[in-house]
Amino acid sequence: MMLSLKNLVLAGAAVLLVGAADIAYAQSAGTVSTALSSGAVGEQADGYLGFRSTPSGTLRGEVDAINIKRREAYTNLATQRGVTVRDVAVTVGCETLQKRVATGRSYLLPDGVWRTKAEDPIALPAYCGN
Amino acid sequence: MKQAALLLALAASALLAGCLQIQAPDKPIEINLNVNVKQEVILTLKKDAADLVNNNPELFPQ
Repeated sequence: MMLSLKNLVLAGAAVLLVGAADIAYAQSAGTVSTALSSGAVGEQADGYLGFRSTPSGTLRGEVDAINIKRREAYTNLATQRGVTVRDVAVTVGCETLQKRVATGRSYLLPDGVWRTKAEDPIALPAYCGN
Repeated sequence: MKQAALLLALAASALLAGCLQIQAPDKPIEINLNVNVKQEVILTLKKDAADLVNNNPELFPQ
């Protein structure tokens, strides 16, 4: 009886922990998503997220964390394919600029100028091909 | 005979001088292949990159 009670308490604690982690994740995704919709954060041609305007500490931390994970994923793919991390990153940049920047959101081209996505597709850098 | 050949050679060189003027460029000739090479790598990686983006939605928030 004692044992099962103990198990119950443990299970309850586990549920609480998982719940807390979910909430933390949702909040983090929320901060970045909000910044993306407002245009404060945007996709860059180099394959990473960047700041169009100076971010709060929290936002900076969350975007940096995403970029670190992106770099990890790019590094894995680069190793598999025998190319540089930059090649992979830039190719992902072509992909995100082409498909994942909604109208009204910010994006950065290799010329270093932040622009706001219009209805028309983004004029991709020549190296992206077609 | 020898003189004729000489004359011919002279005439030929005069002609050449008249029509062909080759000047060495003052700047070195640069052929930039970087863009093409890069484009080729990008084309081969395109599908992988699309998969990477689609399979990791947490890294590409909307």
